[in-house]
Amino acid sequence: MLEHVLNGLYYGSILFMIASGMTIIFGVLGILNLAHGELYALGAFCAFTVVGFFAGQVASPTGPVTAVLFGLVVLAGSLAAAAVLLPVGGALEATFIRPIYDRNEVYQLLLTYGLLLVLTDVMKVVWGPSPIDVGVYSGINAIPTTELVGVSYPSYNVLVILIGVAVFAWLVWFFDRTKTGRIVRATAIDREMSTAIGVSTDRMFTLVFAIGAFFAGFGGAMVSIGPSPASLGMGLDWLVLSFVVIVIGGLGSLKGAFVGALLVGVSSRVVTPYYPELELAVPFLLMVLVLLIKPEGIYGTWGEIQ
Amino acid sequence: MSRFLVERDGETRVRLSEGMELTKSRTILAAVGLVVLFLVPDITRFTGLSFTAIHRGILFGLAAVGLNLILRHTELVSFGHAAFFGVGAYGAAVLASYFDVSSGLVLLLGGVVAATTIAVLIGYFVAGYLDIYFALLTLAFNQVLYAFVLQSSYFNSSDGLSVRPDGLNPPTLFGFQWTTSGYDLILYYFTIVVLVVSLLVMWKLVNSPFGRALDAIGQNRTRARFVGIPVEKYVWIAFVISGIYGGLAGGLFALLQLHVSPDPTLYAFVSGEILFMAILGGFGTLVGPVVGGIVLVYLLIQAPFYVEYYNALTGLLLIAVVLFLPEGILGSVPKIGAELARRRRDPGMLREDVATIGTSLRRAATRAATTVRIIVFGVN
Repeated sequence: MLEHVLNGLYYGSILFMIASGMTIIFGVLGILNLAHGELYALGAFCAFTVVGFFAGQVASPTGPVTAVLFGLVVLAGSLAAAAVLLPVGGALEATFIRPIYDRNEVYQLLLTYGLLLVLTDVMKVVWGPSPIDVGVYSGINAIPTTELVGVSYPSYNVLVILIGVAVFAWLVWFFDRTKTGRIVRATAIDREMSTAIGVSTDRMFTLVFAIGAFFAGFGGAMVSIGPSPASLGMGLDWLVLSFVVIVIGGLGSLKGAFVGALLVGVSSRVVTPYYPELELAVPFLLMVLVLLIKPEGIYGTWGEIQ
Repeated sequence: MSRFLVERDGETRVRLSEGMELTKSRTILAAVGLVVLFLVPDITRFTGLSFTAIHRGILFGLAAVGLNLILRHTELVSFGHAAFFGVGAYGAAVLASYFDVSSGLVLLLGGVVAATTIAVLIGYFVAGYLDIYFALLTLAFNQVLYAFVLQSSYFNSSDGLSVRPDGLNPPTLFGFQWTTSGYDLILYYFTIVVLVVSLLVMWKLVNSPFGRALDAIGQNRTRARFVGIPVEKYVWIAFVISGIYGGLAGGLFALLQLHVSPDPTLYAFVSGEILFMAILGGFGTLVGPVVGGIVLVYLLIQAPFYVEYYNALTGLLLIAVVLFLPEGILGSVPKIGAELARRRRDPGMLREDVATIGTSLRRAATRAATTVRIIVFGVN
């Protein structure tokens, strides 16, 4: 049971990283970005190239100290891989998304769906059509964190859970405590007023889209250095699932995305071993339930980031 | 004026029935469209176009016409219309596989009944929601259905069911067991008849008091409620009607493919595609969704045979439509026609066009430079 819950937390942490990117993009820009799943896949592919390079610089771990070093190098590598998404996200926003802010939402959906298709093929050009694996998973699991506690559980999963919490903490800090974060929130609440007091909304939106893309890419990097390889179609299921997460949590609410992701993650991993036929349906049943009881989601506010 | 020609708004119009009149140019267009549709089997034989792809495109287009009822008039974005398409297809497949029903029309009827039931159920839950919540709730119901079918052995999981009642031959159509090519042809012409009838019914519907009430709901729910329109009930009815169209298309799809599996009929992205067909063809028009359906399905099915990067091709087309033809393919025809006519009258406008293109290119370059600056030096 404990293992299932931990698996759920691991799953939820990855989900949160993707959904957080989507929720800040939706909360500030008002765009439901269908291409988000592909940004996540792009992060996974970048991790293959970048982490592979970094991990090649240090030897495979032999003892606890080298294992921690190895883990840190891989972590730095996946951050670097996700950093590739910053300029990519910025460029996408400035070129394609910016002209359609005041258009009907169906056009935004259609355009981001077009971007999704184009991005898929860009990855196909660069990395080829077959799935690729970074293959550092067992190396990271050599870090003996969980053996110390006496429970046998992959260290990598624990690491990802911790990273998920750290991402949440960083985002809350950024939007609550930093000047840029407050300016972003002000822009989200009243675009005209922030323009009037001298904020460049264009730049703010580019920044937010880039941050959103960064966290999608970081989630992708985390999955890709884990046991599952990076493949072209990997973004689709996560995209639909992160919709579910941000709807359960309340659109545009970071706290909601966090709670929603953990809720979806834990419930689906706990239910699946007992009722395997419910595996795919659990998140959606949860979503239908939440929407019928509380239509605006658990922490729903309309459009404002909290 | 004769029985079929009436004078209205200073124009001679062709009258189809009470209240249904077409302008002359539209009559010609509709006639040409019909003729082309009827000639498709011959056209494809001579030009090497794919007959099956066009047939499938028409079916998805029919589902998109149904979706367009709520998209255009009540302004609700449904992201779950594959549910009705898929249930329609599975309804026919279950009747064929488990109950040995061999008549194609009965199979189709079964599909429509199944889809209607599901639409009544889902519609009951979603009718009160708005905007993105409506979209995501329909998506959720769609995915619940998909997950249910995918993991149920009754529906044979991801392998799906065959629509061959005796395990070998396709269903009978109009009481006959046709050969393979004859079956495809008869089914195609039957599809055309269904399509035309459905379009006429839809036209009648949106021009009825009920259709006007839906328009009112789309424009302002509160006011619609104040003038006495039972908003939720009407949205529910419209949702069920659009579900019936989806079920009809799905049932015909099952008859065409003779095999139904969850991924091409029920998955959430099929819903997205049905929605995009409506927008691509022009969701402000009646026939636009059909055109969008044919174009998008044709691209998705046939492009892989010609180009390696077919996804990017489709994606770039969609982006181009959003940025340059927001009315959709069919919706833009009148505008483009009017612009061309103006150019013909006033050749000087061409110079202005060149200037406009130059300005927008310069603007794009400036924007790109700004973007690069932001990326390199950061924001603010």
